[in-house]
Amino acid sequence: MAEKLLEVTDLCKYFEVKRGLKSSQAVKAVDHVSFEIAKGETLGLVGESGCGKSSLGRTLLRIYEPTAGEILYDGKDVAKLSRRGFLPYRRRIQMIFQDPYASLNPRLTVGEIIGEGMQIHKICTKGQATRRVQELLELVGLKPDHIRRYPHEFSGGQRQRICIARTLSLDPEFIVCDEPISALDVSIQAQVINLLESIQKERGISYLFIAHDLGMVKHISHRIGVMYLGHMVEIGPSNDVYHDPLHPYTRALLSAEPIPDPRAAHAKKRILLGGEIPSPINPPKGCPFVTRCPYAMEVCAAIAPPSFEIENRRVSCFLYEQWRIRERGGRSIDSIPVNAPVSQSANA
Amino acid sequence: MSLLEINHLSTHFKTAQGTVKALRDVSFRVSSGEVFGIVGESGSGKSVSMLSLMGLLAENSVIPEGEILFNGKDISPANLNTKRKRNEYEKKMRKLRGGEISMIFQDPMTFLNPVLKVGTQICEGILAHIHCSREEARIRAIELMRQVGIPSPEKRLDQYPFEFSGGMRQRIIIATALACKPKLIIADEPTTALDVTVQAQILELIKTLTDESGAAVVMITHDLGVVATLCDRIAILYAGRVMEEGLTEEIFYSPKHPYTKGLLGSINNSEKDESEPLQPIPGTPPDLLKLPAGCAFMPRCQEAMRICGAQEPPKSAFSGTHRCYCWRNSMDEALITVSAPAANTAALQPNLALSAAEEG
Repeated sequence: MAEKLLEVTDLCKYFEVKRGLKSSQAVKAVDHVSFEIAKGETLGLVGESGCGKSSLGRTLLRIYEPTAGEILYDGKDVAKLSRRGFLPYRRRIQMIFQDPYASLNPRLTVGEIIGEGMQIHKICTKGQATRRVQELLELVGLKPDHIRRYPHEFSGGQRQRICIARTLSLDPEFIVCDEPISALDVSIQAQVINLLESIQKERGISYLFIAHDLGMVKHISHRIGVMYLGHMVEIGPSNDVYHDPLHPYTRALLSAEPIPDPRAAHAKKRILLGGEIPSPINPPKGCPFVTRCPYAMEVCAAIAPPSFEIENRRVSCFLYEQWRIRERGGRSIDSIPVNAPVSQSANA
Repeated sequence: MSLLEINHLSTHFKTAQGTVKALRDVSFRVSSGEVFGIVGESGSGKSVSMLSLMGLLAENSVIPEGEILFNGKDISPANLNTKRKRNEYEKKMRKLRGGEISMIFQDPMTFLNPVLKVGTQICEGILAHIHCSREEARIRAIELMRQVGIPSPEKRLDQYPFEFSGGMRQRIIIATALACKPKLIIADEPTTALDVTVQAQILELIKTLTDESGAAVVMITHDLGVVATLCDRIAILYAGRVMEEGLTEEIFYSPKHPYTKGLLGSINNSEKDESEPLQPIPGTPPDLLKLPAGCAFMPRCQEAMRICGAQEPPKSAFSGTHRCYCWRNSMDEALITVSAPAANTAALQPNLALSAAEEG
């Protein structure tokens, strides 16, 4: 693998939720998540709403302060830095937000929006800034004379291009893309994806690409991480995860995805999961997926599974303990009889 | 006979900036028992078409033309120029809404009234359309909730919407839609607000329930995956017009309209190789206040010719079920082989004039 840019170990982000006057509880939005991203690589992050994927992205940028864990960026633990100490890293780590209507200040012109970061980080003088902004606008497929316009004059796709130009203005090495295409129409999504890909090829930027559209994530990512209830349940090369998912949740998630191909859609075997994601305030004991898992065993309800290395992947599921794999004579879990989900603490 | 027949329906909205032509000359039919998908991007008129059908449009709407037949009855919303006609129409629609035609809306969080128990909300429709006692309505509501897969319905009936999750609320909405055994169910993006695994549950539910009851479903969506999974036939809408209509297989495996081809090219298919770049449609959808002359898709079309910017394309049929509105397809095979891109249409010119004359 290429040189590591980011290495995250046991990262946690808990939010305090006030219950009544005194007592408070913690929502474990991100719970002991570990992964790494190489230079020029895209890590896709998928999961359903409330699984903590956006919280994870924001914690990496320290928009949310991490509760515990290490974020090694270029070999330095940026989680422990002071706010001021982190400032240089703010330039190198950037973010594209989901909603291009909310993430641009309606009172500033496009030139001011894109140029603001360069002035804060004192990258260039005002005169140079105008030229650079115009170059950036051209790079993302807009016209240089758009510089004096306001955001409301642009469509959703064009606004997302402005957001991309803004992040590129600081010449970052790593961009967190938090559902950058969810708010866009189908025909526009592909335009933005292609733009992000060509920028990556040119500049060798790494992406953390957060989305819930599995098809698009597979297309853009080199590796995919799957999150459920604050945990990273599986992570590995995108083709392997997509075509041969290991974790029962990944299998269900992929089988639930509607494929835009009628014959394949009818031929597809669906694993319908019962129930819905448990509340992160009161997650199940043991494995987070135990309440909906068709393969749940006794051990799953008692202790949280550690992550097991399977070939080039990591999966947090007891089904992939070495001795179990040996017993079944292979890592396929298709032969295991499916039992009804353990309805532990469903109403608790 | 078709259950629903919409002929040449147009819907406009009067705004301070001018008239927004949200729907222009839209026609299609839906038969009993089929799932018909209306696909389009935001602003393509897919929701407006169904709101026009239900008579649920905003005050500033105008319907200049169009005929809607439901089950042989005329329920056209056009030409309601006198108060009497409007009242008659409203009376007719009140009987149908929630009775023979019901609707499932997109957002399960805002559809339900937060201060009424879900049981009350399911019973409301039953009591309005079926002559029965409260007790009977309650029994029917419990049966419906069991049908849509809500555990212990006797208890859940007396709970409020906030006590249900998103997926469960969507089930309640489906239960209210099914309450009076409708002949036609309109589902306006029923799963857009839901997570993938819950979406799969709800789609499965809609499928089995309609198979059982034999009701027709009109499915409005922008998600081609949902369409491929659920629909028998599809209409593709763009800027208020039907671009192409056909069986699901016809649309996905032999698309004729450049817009349909573009849509299919811009999504990632599981069969596709990752290294293969996506083929997006350049440009953005047109402003409905300032529609281009001729075909609305012309400014973004890779195969545009000169005539596309001058005249609306005529209908061309490929089979009994497959039709498309595009100049490319309306001409002879021989012509297409010599045809050239817009910049170089001189060779085509005489023939174009000819086909234009035929149209006129």
